[in-house]
Amino acid sequence: MLETVAQAVINGLLIGGIYALVSIGVTLIFGVVKIVNFAQGEFVMIGMYISFFLANQFGIDPLVSLIVSMPVLFVAGVLIQHFLIRRVLGPNDMPQIFLTFALSLLLLNLALMLFSANYRTVHTSYSDEALHFGGLYIPVAKLIAFVVAMLLSAALWVFLHTTDLGKAMRAASQKPEVAQLMGINPNRVFCVALGVALALAGAAGSLLMPFYSAYPFVGQVFVLMAFVAVVLGSLGNVIGALVASLMMGVAESLGIQFVGADSGLIVVFAMLLLTLAFKPTGLGGKAR
Amino acid sequence: MTQALRTRGWLWIAAGTAVLIALPLVVKSSFAIDIFIRILLFAFIGVAWNLMGGYAKQLSLGHAAYFGLGAYTSTILQIDFGISPWIGMVAGGIVAMLASLPIGALCFRLKGPYFTIATIATAQALMLIFLKFRDFAWGAEGTTIPNLGNAPLMMQFEAKAAYYYVALGLLALGLAITYKIEKSWMGYYLVAIGEDEDAAEAIGVNAPKIKRDIYLISSFLTALAGTFYTQYIYFIDPATAFNFNISIEAALVSIVGGIGTLWGPVIGTVLLETTSALLQSWLGSSVGGIQLTVYSLILMAVILWRPTGLMGVATEAYARYVSRTPARA
Repeated sequence: MLETVAQAVINGLLIGGIYALVSIGVTLIFGVVKIVNFAQGEFVMIGMYISFFLANQFGIDPLVSLIVSMPVLFVAGVLIQHFLIRRVLGPNDMPQIFLTFALSLLLLNLALMLFSANYRTVHTSYSDEALHFGGLYIPVAKLIAFVVAMLLSAALWVFLHTTDLGKAMRAASQKPEVAQLMGINPNRVFCVALGVALALAGAAGSLLMPFYSAYPFVGQVFVLMAFVAVVLGSLGNVIGALVASLMMGVAESLGIQFVGADSGLIVVFAMLLLTLAFKPTGLGGKAR
Repeated sequence: MTQALRTRGWLWIAAGTAVLIALPLVVKSSFAIDIFIRILLFAFIGVAWNLMGGYAKQLSLGHAAYFGLGAYTSTILQIDFGISPWIGMVAGGIVAMLASLPIGALCFRLKGPYFTIATIATAQALMLIFLKFRDFAWGAEGTTIPNLGNAPLMMQFEAKAAYYYVALGLLALGLAITYKIEKSWMGYYLVAIGEDEDAAEAIGVNAPKIKRDIYLISSFLTALAGTFYTQYIYFIDPATAFNFNISIEAALVSIVGGIGTLWGPVIGTVLLETTSALLQSWLGSSVGGIQLTVYSLILMAVILWRPTGLMGVATEAYARYVSRTPARA
């Protein structure tokens, strides 16, 4: 029994690392640009397809294709901010919500047209490898994904807290007007925020590829998880999003283990609704 | 002058209604009638969404929850208890209203995009519940509605045109309710909340109560559409009844047509559904995703260039026309 729980917790933590990459992207965009990117999941999907095609055509390992998917999505993020999101920033919610929502629909359905609804998988030498500790079982591909995800999250934290650009981003997120008075160009900062967030989503996609199938709707799973994690972790808070994502992964995995294979999402939604009911400002507890 | 305008407005509506009533008598193609029914149905759902999403700007993407509850309530009453879907339709509406109270209590705690996300989550959670609990709702396989032939009392008709008239009636109901609300105090409260909720509360609008009330009306109407749709396609399962695309289309037709306007959802549906029907007849339904690809491009174009939608374009054109022609009266 204890072993089953421990195994479920480990599985949850490992996948929670991937959720964290997606959630941190969502929360970074929300914190800096003050919009919710409904299309974040679709960029995970694009990252997966990039890795899939590189593996399929050139035999490149999905972990190596990180160095392609991250820059490609960084550039995509900068372009999307500069040409699309910049035009709808303002006091009105409707254009912001439905612009990124339309982007999500567009990318998803383009993928459906171009790649069909088939599941695509990449088989690597380590896809079936696992470490054993006593009765516990740790799949290598998931472990690598988790470790890289944590390293990337740490790198982001260091970037936000030590570099000038990172500090400018935090300043713009905390006091946009003052930041602008200090000579910070908001659009430039927003472009970087979008770029970094999308690069993280792309990384999540590449990291998933050795043990997860790519299909056009795959992003929806991750983005829902990320939205819940971001609410739980207080909107706009990077560490909060990370912790909440790991918790969500564990909650989902315990749900699958003890309630039933198709109940993972029910547990997640229940967590969201309970959070909203009892602590709408999130676990971090800071008022918006 | 205003009196004359109003009379002219009613004349237009009377003429339009006459054309719509005569349409199935002239057009016999069942493909075309099918498209007309889809247009009427989605315009009705759009009108229901628009009451809350358009006027009060509570941008829900979870209206499939009420569509599904309406569909399931009437179907369960019909199959397990032999109760006519006409009664089931109203019962479904009431179930949807009851469900909107706790859902609203949770979701209205959040503002802007997080309200939208919470509504998505509630609709998805309802779908999962209907997938999981097979005892009262047939689980994932769903069920077919027993075909009773021509049984108008059970909302089953031999002639497709009959469904057309039911859908037309629903749309007329939705538009009449919207018209009434638009002209009442409630309409002004809704617009005030939509413009700036804090400011509205500061001048004494009871925003939580108004939002709750409009959510009740909006979910009731959406549930009626659910019952109708199930009776029309003779089939129900969680994936159809709680389909996310219903939530999307409800919002899309309103935004493309003109958010927060009486006729916006109708105009938006005519444009989107016609586009979709044309695409289907050109390309066949083999190309998956083409419909929503085009919808999303239209939506992006509207948001980037004309956030007021087609109604906004029409109003501007009319204003230009009026300012060009000197007043005659």
